[in-house]
Amino acid sequence: MDLQPHPTYGGPYFQIGSLGAVPADSGVVEGGEIPYKPDALAKKKENFANRWKQDPEVKCYMPGIPRATYMPYPFQIVQSANVILMSYEYASANRVINMARPREASVDTWMGTANGHWEGETLVVDNTGFNDQSWLDRAGDFHSDELHVVERYTRVDPYHIQYEATIEDPQVFSKPWKISLPLYRRVEKNAQLGEFKCVEYAEELLYGDLRKK
Amino acid sequence: MKSLSLIVLGLAAAAAFAQTPAPTQTTKKYTQPKTAWGDPDLQGVFSTDEYIGVPFERPAKFGTRKYLNEQELAERAKDVDDLASVHDTGVRPDKGFWKNQHGVDAAAVPPQWLEYAPRASRQTSLVVDPPDGHVPALTPAAEERRAQQKNYFNMRPASWLDLTMYDRCITRGVAGSIFPVIYGNGTQIVQEPGFVAIRNEMIHETRIIPLDGRPHAPATQRMNMGDSRGHWEGNTLVVETTNYIGGHNSISVNGTGGIPYSDDLVTVERFTRADAKHVNYEMRISDPPTYTKPWTVAFELTQEPGYEIFEYACHEGNYGMRNRLSAARAEEKEEAAAKAK
Repeated sequence: MDLQPHPTYGGPYFQIGSLGAVPADSGVVEGGEIPYKPDALAKKKENFANRWKQDPEVKCYMPGIPRATYMPYPFQIVQSANVILMSYEYASANRVINMARPREASVDTWMGTANGHWEGETLVVDNTGFNDQSWLDRAGDFHSDELHVVERYTRVDPYHIQYEATIEDPQVFSKPWKISLPLYRRVEKNAQLGEFKCVEYAEELLYGDLRKK
Repeated sequence: MKSLSLIVLGLAAAAAFAQTPAPTQTTKKYTQPKTAWGDPDLQGVFSTDEYIGVPFERPAKFGTRKYLNEQELAERAKDVDDLASVHDTGVRPDKGFWKNQHGVDAAAVPPQWLEYAPRASRQTSLVVDPPDGHVPALTPAAEERRAQQKNYFNMRPASWLDLTMYDRCITRGVAGSIFPVIYGNGTQIVQEPGFVAIRNEMIHETRIIPLDGRPHAPATQRMNMGDSRGHWEGNTLVVETTNYIGGHNSISVNGTGGIPYSDDLVTVERFTRADAKHVNYEMRISDPPTYTKPWTVAFELTQEPGYEIFEYACHEGNYGMRNRLSAARAEEKEEAAAKAK
């Protein structure tokens, strides 16, 4: 799902035809546009042009936050008092949200370091400690290692969580911006995460040049 | 929602201050902490670092003994100290990991890349049943498979397909993800009503185990980490896992050392909190196409103060794959050039 509104666009037509196309959508960015700094906007356009080679998702790399939340694959929340675990079907990515006294990130990671607290009925998660490797969507939207994401999860009824994330990164964006979207609960009987270990499908792309001829 | 959180926090704090009896001298009955909804509380961040260096199968001299005697324990404690001192001295003793690297350039591995046991474990081996601490005999079919098995080590890979699922950063499997190894030995247990989650540090796989008695996934839905279902037997969490993908990983450290298990593998794990710092863990392995009888591996999960589970971005950082493949191609090129002369 691309964050910004966009028309339909295509993919590697010869191999996968319309499976590579992306239908038009009004996106989830409040105000419609991500406030890129001029240099960063040029980089985003370059990312978009090269997305089939460069998107970390093509390589089965971890999606980071907030992208993990709106991947096409489900995730599951396991909630205890001190720790809230979020386990994502995609690539066995997961993270724990520390609900006790906030702790600084020890090291930069793909999924960041998450400290959470309650504001009434809303779970607020403060994320720092990201490396600069992940993208925010399949359209080449990216960030630096100064990324700071504050998420808000509010259950609005038994089947929906309203999800908001405020994204700031002074190296890339001229000001903070916000996304907002509903998360739909999977209601199938005995719903469970599948296993999507996509590394096997990325190996040819990543290492094919080193295969013995 | 918020008030429920407070109740659970209170119970967890009480458990942290409980007395810790020595594992072999429990004189006081341990009162199991419970979660707010009444399940035994297994939660915490655990490590198996204490079991680094304990042999997988039992050396013959120990016979049917599961534990070292006092003198043997003191000898192992000396080895543990010698290995841990590598961090400070940089001198590699001819013990443990360094001894096992004979024939390989062990000097290339920086000593601080490894973890060392913080104390000596009492166990003679990780395999505890059959009573001799050895993996049971293979079936004839499995023996044939072993004879034809790929050699994953000290070989020249034509592609990533010649390397293990661990080298490829795909999975270490359920057993390989929890058996103690040179680092990344963290396991985190998180509970909520109806589920237990077990999160492994390396390679960052997580199983979310339903406790509601639902059936396993259909037989055609196979998974590297299998399909787990759990229930309580008294204070013990029992987890049965089926739907494994056979033919790749084995029941061994990292899933790479032994004979690959079959699709028919069923593992039954048992988690029981022994005291404030320990959860007793065991895995019972049944795979009739591979092993002539079931066998059991057991050890403790220990809450080590200050232990932090780090993100193990295995695939993202897999420089080893490109290094090994490019080295193989370079060697071939050199050989071809030498032949051409």
